[in-house]
Amino acid sequence: MKNCLRELRADKEWSQGDLAQKLGVSRQTINAIETEKYDPSLPLALKIGRLFKRSVEDIFEER
Amino acid sequence: MNQPNHPDEIWLGKKEYSIWTDWRVNGWLFTATIISGASDIMFPHWVRQCPVSLRAAIAVAPFLAVLLWVRSLAQWIRGMDELHRRLMLSAILVATSATFFVVMFWHRLDVAGVFPSKSGASWDIATVGHSFLLMTCFYFLGYRVCSRRFR
Repeated sequence: MKNCLRELRADKEWSQGDLAQKLGVSRQTINAIETEKYDPSLPLALKIGRLFKRSVEDIFEER
Repeated sequence: MNQPNHPDEIWLGKKEYSIWTDWRVNGWLFTATIISGASDIMFPHWVRQCPVSLRAAIAVAPFLAVLLWVRSLAQWIRGMDELHRRLMLSAILVATSATFFVVMFWHRLDVAGVFPSKSGASWDIATVGHSFLLMTCFYFLGYRVCSRRFR
């Protein structure tokens, strides 16, 4: 899936480590999502949406 | 928020390696290997003269330790984030199936008398020690292969 997580994170001026800590995952997971190598589970996608106050569809879209 | 567990914490030589975590996760595996090795050495001589119940207890002791190891491993995996949990489970699946295959394959060759047996030494690798050594090798191989696509 395509996503705009990197842009959203950059807007907040957070590092991957900062975001990982806020979401309770590892930095590698954030990197894998941003580089579109890994699609997060629904609970994690919802957590990301809540953190950035966006809907899941705003952040993730099908290729 | 608490940091999730990371597989590199038990990977000797990695930056995140922690001997305490390794012991907490794999302590029972180490114990099982020690008990198995010790009973393999003692079985032909000392243990054979013991009562059947004691022999049975010594024979199954490593498996009880293995069950405790599985429990601590499962607890540790539960504390991982979803990506690493997925990688770990894939690596464990690779390790267990590959070990099962190799041990069975080797056993068939041994039964067929393919390996020369001098002075009664056995070539059988269906022991706790051998199996876990193989499983560890296949785990690292499996983890390396599975994690490659997420790097």
